[in-house]
Amino acid sequence: MFLIPSATVLGAVLIFPLGYAVYLSLFNYDLGAGIYQFIGLDNYAALLGESRFWGSLQRTVMIVVSAVTLEFTLGLLVAYGLYRLTFGVRTLNLLMFMPNVITPVVAALFLRWIFIGRWGLLSGILIGLGIFPPDFLGEPSWARFTVILADAWQFTPFMILVLYAGLNTVDQSQIEAAHVDGAGPWTLLFRIMIPGIRPLILFVLAIRIMDSFRFFDQIYVLTAGGPGSATETITMYTYALAFRLLQIGKASALGVMTLLLVAGAITGVIATLYRRERGAF
Amino acid sequence: MPNLSRRAVLGSAAATLAAPILRPARAAAPVQMISHRFPALEYIAEKMRGAISGVEVNTQLMPYDKALELITISLSSRAGTPDILYAANPTFITFAKNGWIRPLDDLWEKHKEEFDLGDFSPAVQTSFSYDGHRWCMPATGNVMMFFYRKDILSKAGEKPPETFVAYRDLAKSLNSPMRAGTISCQRPVNSALNEASWYINALADGWFDDKWHPVFNGPKGVAAIEMMREITKYAQQGFTNAANDECTIALQQDTAAMGLQWATRAMSMDDPKQSRVVGKIDWSVPPQGHTPQGGDGYAISAFSKQDPDVLFRILATATSKQSIHGAASLMVPTRTSVLQDEELLGKYRFFPAARACLAASQGPPRLPEFDAVGLFITRRILQALTGEMAVKPALDAAASETENFLKGHGYYQ
Repeated sequence: MFLIPSATVLGAVLIFPLGYAVYLSLFNYDLGAGIYQFIGLDNYAALLGESRFWGSLQRTVMIVVSAVTLEFTLGLLVAYGLYRLTFGVRTLNLLMFMPNVITPVVAALFLRWIFIGRWGLLSGILIGLGIFPPDFLGEPSWARFTVILADAWQFTPFMILVLYAGLNTVDQSQIEAAHVDGAGPWTLLFRIMIPGIRPLILFVLAIRIMDSFRFFDQIYVLTAGGPGSATETITMYTYALAFRLLQIGKASALGVMTLLLVAGAITGVIATLYRRERGAF
Repeated sequence: MPNLSRRAVLGSAAATLAAPILRPARAAAPVQMISHRFPALEYIAEKMRGAISGVEVNTQLMPYDKALELITISLSSRAGTPDILYAANPTFITFAKNGWIRPLDDLWEKHKEEFDLGDFSPAVQTSFSYDGHRWCMPATGNVMMFFYRKDILSKAGEKPPETFVAYRDLAKSLNSPMRAGTISCQRPVNSALNEASWYINALADGWFDDKWHPVFNGPKGVAAIEMMREITKYAQQGFTNAANDECTIALQQDTAAMGLQWATRAMSMDDPKQSRVVGKIDWSVPPQGHTPQGGDGYAISAFSKQDPDVLFRILATATSKQSIHGAASLMVPTRTSVLQDEELLGKYRFFPAARACLAASQGPPRLPEFDAVGLFITRRILQALTGEMAVKPALDAAASETENFLKGHGYYQ
């Protein structure tokens, strides 16, 4: 009986929309043409046979892996630096968390004015230093690098905050014992700290991988998926299917496939981090 | 502390609950309007807000793609709002074909005399008609003009180019690291589609044949996009991601020497608050003509709960002769009387060029799905421009995707 209210809310906000998306994915539902016709798994088959789907998946994986790796590495290093710092930690933590507070679209607009070619802030600084800047948003490889950097700028603070909190929970007796055994800062980090916060690492990686797979706002504002198809991710493709081509059934199928891919990726992360401890999760 | 008895609490609660029922009359719901945003449309929106006293109009203005997305979601879900919506050509054809907007014929006839609606230029009236009906109130007229730095061209002993070959050569000779030879706006979908339309219409046989089969991947189409690729080698940084705003700024900030841009941006070149090139830009008909022509209008949602007569009066007031006269510096006027006003011709120096460009212009294909297939076309053209694909296979792929999409929409049967 006590579960009924929560189950109702969960059903309304989670299960129903998901179920509806799965249902729509089985239809040729085209708003522009006014077609609504059951086609079974044809949308999935069509997507799997498209080079555009595989291309966007490949770019998504590249962006997710690069961005999350960069964020985790930077986040862990800064968090460890803060952990070892003896003063000003609170102020630094607060300042560093600011990018994460900003709405992604607004952050993307800031970043667009920074990275935009020729009269953007970064280009202006480089020209002032006598360096002719690259085309950050207009050249395919630079555009990919810029969107990864944009994601890292906004979400590394989240990593820092969570990992810093985690580092502070590591058993002091283990740290003291390591000091007695002559462990240096890096040994301490890799042998004591990281193993000690493994569940937390799994948590931040899972959250960021899920988020990065849904990476949309910043790409939409910074490059709109271009130039060409250089930064077209799965979510950008889903957006194009749903809102430009009005192919709701196919877009729903791509949404469901994205969900399965993210679930697969998270399972992979759990399996990797806990490969020696079966049954931990 | 006040004495809170059970009766007092129940009494207050009952009064609170009854208040909405006892109120003498519910205030009328405000009229909701969604639109694309640039100075001319901001002006029109302001006129809508004050069009009818006692009728509140909420205007939401946003970038084109965002507005189109929001309008499409609202209309496709048959929502009661927005009541008034922005609709350019050919977007309004999609809305009309789907039954999402109401035809304006009855209201147009009813208010024709009062608002002198016959003063709208015939070309503008035709551009907002489809399937024998009027669907939009014309708000702005627009045409793409060739913007060029008269000081730089004069110093180089050059005149505005009349052919694409001359344009390419001039762009090459004027190009330098600090000032691009030309602007190019290739942000998908609309900016890129407009510019590509110029090349395809001027150098090839257009986008489609009379049965809506793509023809842009023929030899002339390939040559046109090859020419575009040549010319964009001398375009400003970030051109693949530049929309009209970025291109306008490139000209205003002296980082590009010339290029195609909308007439609505012309006067901002002479605004000292925005521009470093005041008085240095001039305009001409683009090389080989066939310049894209557009315009913005407003339609009434078929699902609006508001009185259509009130909505029409808001639109007609905001686009009255007096109103358009006041916005003449921001657009190519939609009303014949304003476009031919001798005083304005002398006052706004881009008017003669705008009139010449209109005479040499070409509208988009009257295909409701043109915006949608533009997604395939611009994506593939950009892949060709950035070297991701060669031009011919890119256009072949775009043509095949376009044909498949149109086939799914019941064409070619």
